[in-house]
Amino acid sequence: MSDAVLLQPDVRFIRSVVNGGGGDLKKCYQCATCSVVCTLSPDHAPFPRRQMIRAQWGLKGQLMGDPAIWLCHNCGDCTTRCPRGARPGDVFGALRSEAIKHFAIPGVLGSLLSRPAGLAVLFLAGAVAFGLLSLSGPLMQGTAEPRFEFADMFPLPVLEAFFFALSGLLLIAFAGGLVRFTRALRASGADGPLIAGLIPAVAAILTHRRFGQCGTERTRFYGHLATLWGFLGLAAVGTVVGVLTMAGLLETPLAQTNPLKILANASGAAAIAGVMLLLGDRLRDPVKRAASTPFDWFFAWTLAGVLVSGMVIQFLRLAEAVPWMYVVYYVHLVLIFALFVGAPYTKFAHLAYRTVAMAAAGRT
Amino acid sequence: MAERPGVYICSGCGIGQSLDIGKLVKVATAELKVPRCEAHSFLCGPEGVDLIRRDIASETVDGVVIAACSPRVKTDAFSFDPLMVLDRVNLREHVIWCHKPNDEDTQMLAEDYLRMGVTKVRKSEPLEPQQDEISKRLLVVGGGVAGMTAAIEAATAGYDVVLVEKSPRLGGFVAALAQRFPTAPPYTDLQAGGVAAQIQQVSYHPKIQVLTSATIRETSGQPGMFDVTIAAESGELKTRVGAIVLATGWRPYDATKLGQLGYGASPDVITNVEFERLAAAGPIVRPSDGRPVMSVLFVQCAGSRDERHLPYCSSTCCMATLKHATMIHAQNPDAAVFVVYKDIRTPGQYERFYRAAQDHPLTFLTKGEIVGVEADGGGRMAATVKDTLVGEQVRIEADLVVLATGMVPNAADGAAIRLVKDSRATLARAEATEPQKSDARKKIADLAHHEGTEILCLTYRQGPDLPAHKYGFPDSHFVCFPYETRRTGIYAAGAVRAPMDGAHAQEDAMGAAMKAIQSVELASRGAAVHPRAGDLSFPSFFLQRCTQCKRCTEECPFGTLDEDPKGTPQLNVYRCRRCGVCMGACPERIISFKNYSVDMIASMIKAIEVPDEDEEKPRVLVLMCENDAYPALDVAGLNRVHYDPSVRVVPLRCLGSLNIVWIADALSGGIDGVMLVGCKYGDDYQCHFVQGSELANRRLENVKETLQRLQLESERIQLTQLAINEYGKLPALIDEFMDRIRDLGPNPYKGF
Repeated sequence: MSDAVLLQPDVRFIRSVVNGGGGDLKKCYQCATCSVVCTLSPDHAPFPRRQMIRAQWGLKGQLMGDPAIWLCHNCGDCTTRCPRGARPGDVFGALRSEAIKHFAIPGVLGSLLSRPAGLAVLFLAGAVAFGLLSLSGPLMQGTAEPRFEFADMFPLPVLEAFFFALSGLLLIAFAGGLVRFTRALRASGADGPLIAGLIPAVAAILTHRRFGQCGTERTRFYGHLATLWGFLGLAAVGTVVGVLTMAGLLETPLAQTNPLKILANASGAAAIAGVMLLLGDRLRDPVKRAASTPFDWFFAWTLAGVLVSGMVIQFLRLAEAVPWMYVVYYVHLVLIFALFVGAPYTKFAHLAYRTVAMAAAGRT
Repeated sequence: MAERPGVYICSGCGIGQSLDIGKLVKVATAELKVPRCEAHSFLCGPEGVDLIRRDIASETVDGVVIAACSPRVKTDAFSFDPLMVLDRVNLREHVIWCHKPNDEDTQMLAEDYLRMGVTKVRKSEPLEPQQDEISKRLLVVGGGVAGMTAAIEAATAGYDVVLVEKSPRLGGFVAALAQRFPTAPPYTDLQAGGVAAQIQQVSYHPKIQVLTSATIRETSGQPGMFDVTIAAESGELKTRVGAIVLATGWRPYDATKLGQLGYGASPDVITNVEFERLAAAGPIVRPSDGRPVMSVLFVQCAGSRDERHLPYCSSTCCMATLKHATMIHAQNPDAAVFVVYKDIRTPGQYERFYRAAQDHPLTFLTKGEIVGVEADGGGRMAATVKDTLVGEQVRIEADLVVLATGMVPNAADGAAIRLVKDSRATLARAEATEPQKSDARKKIADLAHHEGTEILCLTYRQGPDLPAHKYGFPDSHFVCFPYETRRTGIYAAGAVRAPMDGAHAQEDAMGAAMKAIQSVELASRGAAVHPRAGDLSFPSFFLQRCTQCKRCTEECPFGTLDEDPKGTPQLNVYRCRRCGVCMGACPERIISFKNYSVDMIASMIKAIEVPDEDEEKPRVLVLMCENDAYPALDVAGLNRVHYDPSVRVVPLRCLGSLNIVWIADALSGGIDGVMLVGCKYGDDYQCHFVQGSELANRRLENVKETLQRLQLESERIQLTQLAINEYGKLPALIDEFMDRIRDLGPNPYKGF
């Protein structure tokens, strides 16, 4: 009797899952059709049946460190086949957002950004910050002539300092959250080799091997793949260009024929196409396969906004369209701010959480 | 005896194309010497039927043999005076549809069937129906929802009803409920409890006499004339009724046997029935200290679906628990309700209530098995549960534990009570041997607890109450013959018949009331009830030759026969269902019906022409239950499935009417083998008369010994159990048996 686990339902957690997209959670009657139809569910620890009852019972502690919720790629097979309409796929989506909130450092930011109002505050903060910055920029101060140079909009040293400081803090917060997550994974018995496991996990993610096993529509698969690769390409170009310009080895704007520029444009185009496919998928089929919560919409739309605005300002710059170029640039920066500040606390974090969970679960 | 049988042969439906009708006519006229034989190409048409009618009217014939299709079809066309002797020779389904056309063997088969049909009619006598003054009043025992519904339904249909209720008030279990689970669309919200309107209706109905605080002291007689002595508040009361509806309901399983679930360990472990009382009394609080309940654990199947307790599902406890959960949440939405189940069973539309109740965020359900329930030391109860869906071994703490116990029928086991009585009589008898006495003592020890449980106090030889069927419920067959007990004219309804909730008990009561009405109406015509509904024949006993062996009184599945002090059977004809089990049991062969007798079947068997050994044409007698096996063979014919034409089928009312003399007659007459096809027996029996095929099988065991003495192979006799839907297997079974008989070779007694 001593090894029996005392079950203490966490009612707030149940309500949070129900309100966070798992509204049909309580309908599950444990027939396990979901676990049977899931193509990704491993034989030795099938999901989502078990996670469904744990969520019903409010057993938060047993769920947050469960890698299974990250092994799901949300194809919606379980949801469409569920005889009770319990929508396990949506419950898993809600559980993932719960996990991101749960491990967030600082916690207050996690719970703030899990609410639509909090996301509005995030945008507002970005808008105010960049508004104030631009007021002290050379352009507004009248110390620079319009010369189609974005740097003129903001006081560059301040901007750089601001972004570096912010990035550092965010990285620390993100890493801290992931450490907590890893501990929870270990506690729940996921004992895959974390560092060694990262390589196959990253490989699986880059190739979308598991995602492809999902019985999902192909548009969603290609959309997600293009978004990921496009995003990684842009991140790589951005880092290289940033380092090289700071080292004085490169001068922006780059010529359109520069290989880096070509890579950047190609990545941007791929990411835009991908995110559009994903948005289209969500808009076409808003509830049948998988419901979309503010958590999903924020990430998809902000990412789309960042990518599109980035592409648009390039065109505006080439067209020498002043002052539109600066206006869109401002919007672009506000969106980037929201995306990056939100990264450890919003759906953006799934990139890291899923990678870690896959490594820990030894499931690639 | 029909002395002037008329034979009418139909040549329609292809019979004329497959058989030589002229030869059949010749068999009838030249060989069987019937005074009248006609062939007609469309016998069931108006012209053909008219032909028969004219002959009957002019008294040219006093018995009719129709050689056409199966007796199971065209019953409207061939319906004449029900008292007249009539037989249907099945030339279509059993001959031309399943045997080679214009073949010697097929023709021989048809001719034999004709011989058997004419013999049967010659050995039958016109019926004289029983006529008595029949009471059409109904007695309803039990004043719960089932009893009240039965009373209202019967009274509305115009029948006088006496309703007897043991307790001082009507309403039964449902009257005590604070709330009921939904029994009408949308099946999501609780209903108000109580049955005040129904009680009102019963109490003031001019055709219903209500006797509360009343019990039955004695029930004697038979359907149509039950004499019931009732002990009521006002004193003893005698009344005559025609039929009885038993609606005595249920009682909860004795929870004191559920110590492993914590019952008795704390006042905070209660049963679901105790929970009902708690909820009806006021707010739901902890029995131990009256404090509000913040968490409740419901243990489903507490002592149900468990071989050590009740092996069956009571079908209502899941709904009751979901109702209780809803009531708890209505009182306190923040109370946690845990439910540990084996399976949640919410039949039919009740699934909707399951969904509704499950939707509450604080309703927690899991499959699981309770390891133990104990006080956790802090004033709460703690249950250890294994094999749950949440985890392998978990612990749940709760303020209150509710055991969802099942239903036990409020029925008495008449057969068991009788065994105790008989055993006591054995002990009292001076000449009883020691083994007899020790057997009697053992029976008394095992069954004495049944004494004193009588409800109807029947004066039947076979015991003072209904025989219990599976799990102690008195229903005789819940699928085929719901409400019918093994005592004709007594119908069980509601939870005494099978575990059920109030709504289903009401439906059940309607059915049982209709059955009771049928029973008195048929009795008033001297006719049998289901399954031989309308049968006007009945057994008669040639008592001068009775040896008082008591086999008939013991074996009758319906307790029809009582005994006088010497053991001579006394017939209660309205209890009889006309199966003929007594006829099969009687070693003296003194029991017969006017249209069904040992001699009649024996003569039919003798009418079969048995070819000589050198003709290499074996003959096999198939004695076939006419309820399932015979129609199955009809269906085989309908599907044009062929089988060996060497078999001669004789339908029996029930295989239980098998008298072993027929087998002896057949084998001594040169028949090579006997196949018996009857209903399945055992726990899931399908026999329309409960034990018929089983009794036949028992009698066969004796026959096989006789065969061995005669140097005949016991394989020449086979009893096959067949369900009606196994018609596809029947031809193959017949062919297999024929193969075996051919392997054994001809009956050595052929030609003697």
